[in-house]
Amino acid sequence: MKRTAAALFLGAILALASCGSTGDEEGQGGVYAKFDGKLERGAVLRILENDTAVKQGYLKELLDGFNEKYKEYGILAVDANMDEYSDLENDGPYGYGPDILYQANDSLMKYVYGKHITPIPAERLECYSQVDQNAWEAYRSTVGGTTYTFGVPINIQTSLMYYREDLLPEDSDKNGNGTPDMFENWSELYRYSKQIHEENPSKFGYMKSLDDFYFASGYLFSYGGYIFGENGKDPSDIGLDKGEAYKGAKVLRQLASIMNESCIDNSITLNQYSKLAKGEYFATMTTPDVRSLFLDEMSIEYQKGGLTKEEAGKKAEENLKQIPVPKLPKSGDLNDVSGEMVSMKTMGGINGYAMSSYTQYPNAALAFIDYASSYEMVKRRHEILSIATCRADLASEGDDLSKTLFHQLSESKIEIMPSIRETAQIWTPAGTLCKDLANDPYRAAGDQKYVTDEAIRNKLAEVCKQIHEAIYALQ
Amino acid sequence: MKRFTLFSEIGKGCKQILSGIRDSFLEFGLRFSSSSKRAKASFFVMGLGQILYKQYIKGILYLLCEIGFILFFALTGGNLIAGFFTLGSKEADPWLGIKGDNSVIMMILGIFAFLVLGLWVMAYVSNVKDIHEINRKVDEGKELPTFFESVRTYLDKKFHKVTLLFPVIAVLVFNVIPIVFMICIAFTNYGGEIVPPKLVDWTGFESFGKVFSLGGILPTLGKILGWNILWAFASTFLNYVLGLGLALLLNKKIVKGKAIWRSFPILAYAIPGFITLCGFKFMFSNGGPINQIIVANGGSVIQFLGLDSKWIARLIGLLVNAWLNIPTTMLLATGILSNMNASCYEAAKIDGASPAKQFKDLTLPFVVFATTPNLISQFVANFNNFGVFYFLRGGLYMEGYFNASDTDLLINWLYNLSIANNYYSIGAAISLIIFLITGAISLVVYVRSNAYKKEDIYR
Repeated sequence: MKRTAAALFLGAILALASCGSTGDEEGQGGVYAKFDGKLERGAVLRILENDTAVKQGYLKELLDGFNEKYKEYGILAVDANMDEYSDLENDGPYGYGPDILYQANDSLMKYVYGKHITPIPAERLECYSQVDQNAWEAYRSTVGGTTYTFGVPINIQTSLMYYREDLLPEDSDKNGNGTPDMFENWSELYRYSKQIHEENPSKFGYMKSLDDFYFASGYLFSYGGYIFGENGKDPSDIGLDKGEAYKGAKVLRQLASIMNESCIDNSITLNQYSKLAKGEYFATMTTPDVRSLFLDEMSIEYQKGGLTKEEAGKKAEENLKQIPVPKLPKSGDLNDVSGEMVSMKTMGGINGYAMSSYTQYPNAALAFIDYASSYEMVKRRHEILSIATCRADLASEGDDLSKTLFHQLSESKIEIMPSIRETAQIWTPAGTLCKDLANDPYRAAGDQKYVTDEAIRNKLAEVCKQIHEAIYALQ
Repeated sequence: MKRFTLFSEIGKGCKQILSGIRDSFLEFGLRFSSSSKRAKASFFVMGLGQILYKQYIKGILYLLCEIGFILFFALTGGNLIAGFFTLGSKEADPWLGIKGDNSVIMMILGIFAFLVLGLWVMAYVSNVKDIHEINRKVDEGKELPTFFESVRTYLDKKFHKVTLLFPVIAVLVFNVIPIVFMICIAFTNYGGEIVPPKLVDWTGFESFGKVFSLGGILPTLGKILGWNILWAFASTFLNYVLGLGLALLLNKKIVKGKAIWRSFPILAYAIPGFITLCGFKFMFSNGGPINQIIVANGGSVIQFLGLDSKWIARLIGLLVNAWLNIPTTMLLATGILSNMNASCYEAAKIDGASPAKQFKDLTLPFVVFATTPNLISQFVANFNNFGVFYFLRGGLYMEGYFNASDTDLLINWLYNLSIANNYYSIGAAISLIIFLITGAISLVVYVRSNAYKKEDIYR
């Protein structure tokens, strides 16, 4: 039975390949020649997954399923057992690297320049039509005039608002649209956060370490800023100061003023789980993959209140809410509650699979990627790791959040991290900028650096120049 | 005049080396012209002369040695050396499975080939010396030692050569090759986008030129170097004084429970440095325990490691580094103090010397004398102290600095440039510059110290 299934699958791949279904593959026979559809018998594939997937047992399930399916070919997929961020550039050429890597798009695409990851005939994969084009775009790159696909998108990683339903005041959803009023827009959240802190100085509303550019960048993007021009492909055009990005910087600075000094460094990133669970923080913003860390802490707090472990876990599950980020005031002033609101863009990454150029078993590796990106496996991944999927079929039948994130992705509300290697030069200068802005309200009145729009604009331009220098000065 | 001792010493050393080379060439010519015909054969074919003198085994070994070298260079060595100069001509394409040249590997193998060439020269020289010796003995009518007799001397008179052989080889392979490799990288364009499979090229002094010509780099180098020197002196001084103080304190008879007190610094010493540093970073963070205590007592948050806290952060760096390094000095000083001659103190006491005087004239000179080399190595280690500011206050690029923050030391900056940003050649060039600075300082301090000048005083 299994033999037939595998044969059918092979047949399907071969059929698709022989159709020459895509213009994309024509004239690139050289690059794709190794994908001749003949599964390499006795192949051993080393799979590098992310640590959470290993810890939560997803990888084991994936490997077992694949190995069972391809048993008769003697193909064995194993845990590469390497550091999650090990460097293919240094390991691959000497035969030590993994065959397949699962990472964020920016981490994977930095290998394109040295040709360490190989173009994949993505059109042959079952998931091709289901995955959103914006997600595929994150894995496309043009080399020598031809555009190739280098990875297979699996999940969307972006910022979400986290809050506890049991901390909401009575009647908090006046318009009945399912979103509590304070999360309709940042101005409302700002107002409500101030209110919480005024009522009880030891409590805070929205709290977030603002020095992390991954999360802070969304404010700049929402007002017209961007990282690199041409959809993140032109490093000579650095756009953190473009459009009205300074308004985003103002929002960041204003937000810092309703928190405390913990927002300037990573203190909140470290204590957000326990503080939210204790009710000292009302809401925070972070990525979907850390949900379980909040649940653990909340469960502990509920157990202190006298619940059993099961009850506490269930209650935590019910009360922890993840929703898309609120809208921003068009004016860029959080005191503006009634003005026009614009939807917020967030920085996002697309995690996915890529294949090492140094693999001895390209066909087996392709079969693995096909298996790992299939409906069933991505569904399991969603269930175990609560990820937001890139597959339209899964998103449409999933929960509201999956739908919303998929929608945001296809509407380009998620600014995908640029995939070019120059991106590495962004984080430190931009992170320092965010730290500086967050620090400003905590400086003595005369020492504050960013009181005027002009000062913010100049600073943004300066940071762009700094990044430009870091990229080009030594080339 | 004294100031120039170092330079005149260096000058003298260079002269000695040059005249040594000249002398050995002269001697070589002299030996050749004075040799018998049979002996001359060994100058052209290693071991031939020995065979003609009926030293068959030795001769054959030399001959095999020569054949081995010739084969090595004919088969691969020549290519390796050529590769060292070209650094590859064919670019790899992993997509098509084309294995191209890997410039970095070629450079390392080239250095290795040079090493083998050096070994061959050494073997040749030993061959010439040997045939000269044989020639002399035959002329003087002495009996030649048999092969086994010669071998036996290596377990007796020349045993030091046998024992040193393996360490020397290990040092060559594990120390010399990497250092030469690093120096070579400074003269290439390796880094940035030029990493294998892209081909690397020799670019001469271009990387040094970049360091000195690009706007931003030189001012940053100046600022960081200034702070780096201050840091190195201050932290070495602090660690040394506090470590010695602690050792003296715990050495006093009146201290009860010495073993317990001594175990605390050792505990601090036993915990891996980076864990301690991460711990301190957390303690001093804005939401960390120290600030929580301050806030709970009605104070306001102090940004110990914040963006504007240049000098506070530097001070915390010094103290945290002291926490990490005092135990080493303390242990060292404790050991040295236990070697002090107690009768000296008794004599001093009888002569009426105060404790302060005893410390100044007896303890301090003795301890400083014994620890000077350690002090220098601590100085160099502090000069290149990567961990403290990387863990406490990494990830900041400040205004007025090129890819660095105001607490970064040269080594942190080097890391930002080379590892974080892949500019390997620039990194190598800067590290050569750092080496010149630390090397010069260490040499001056050491040459002028008592530990060097009066080496046999305390023996």
